[in-house]
Amino acid sequence: MLSIKLFGMVKTLAQQQKELSLEFVDGQKVEDLVEVLRAQYPEIGELVLKKKVLISVNQEISHPDTVISTADEVALLPPFAGGSLEANSKGKMKNAKVSR
Amino acid sequence: MAVEIEETMLVRVQAEDFSVDEEINRVRARSTRIGGIATFLGTVRDRSKGRDVRLLTFEHYEGMAQKKLREIRERALQDFDVIEVLVLHRYGAIEIGENVVLIVVGAEHRADAFRACEWCIDELKKITPIWKLEETPEGDVWVEEHP
Repeated sequence: MLSIKLFGMVKTLAQQQKELSLEFVDGQKVEDLVEVLRAQYPEIGELVLKKKVLISVNQEISHPDTVISTADEVALLPPFAGGSLEANSKGKMKNAKVSR
Repeated sequence: MAVEIEETMLVRVQAEDFSVDEEINRVRARSTRIGGIATFLGTVRDRSKGRDVRLLTFEHYEGMAQKKLREIRERALQDFDVIEVLVLHRYGAIEIGENVVLIVVGAEHRADAFRACEWCIDELKKITPIWKLEETPEGDVWVEEHP
């Protein structure tokens, strides 16, 4: 199993879960994780695919071919409060509405 | 006179408010060679993208946020002619008008202090995993960008 930390609007999309646990084979890549997310959490998966949401591995922004071990610290990072990330300088995402 | 300051005090992510004077003095005490100190203080505004804002809540990625702020301080010390850099960001619920983020840069001369200070806050907003939830009359909104 692979634990994935969630923040901000991604956490909202996952019904306020702080972490997801996904079936994941040690040594698969970030691009494989994207596919798992698309299958199980389509809304989040699409945002990751469009690079609106980035995946960090051990607190660094990952690339599609970054290899993941199930012991790694993996997180989904929505756009930061301050704006663009390295991989996300164009295109503004609509603000995610939160109902409570 | 140079006073040893632990790096942990110069890069912080904390819930509590801070005193700008105390933080400036922390940098000032670093070296008597400092001749200019530039600061950037970010506060909570009551309006965002045409919406009224009642409260802001900041969420951060514990560990990675501190790591990115340390990187910013280290790169500023390396790339600019400055003597000390302090980077501080709050998290949790913060009321209108309160302090959110503080950058303090001490240098021999003002031009270097200004330049490094501006670079630090720009970089902080780009690479630090901190998210902002605005409480508005229309509902709560996760914000992508500080204008």
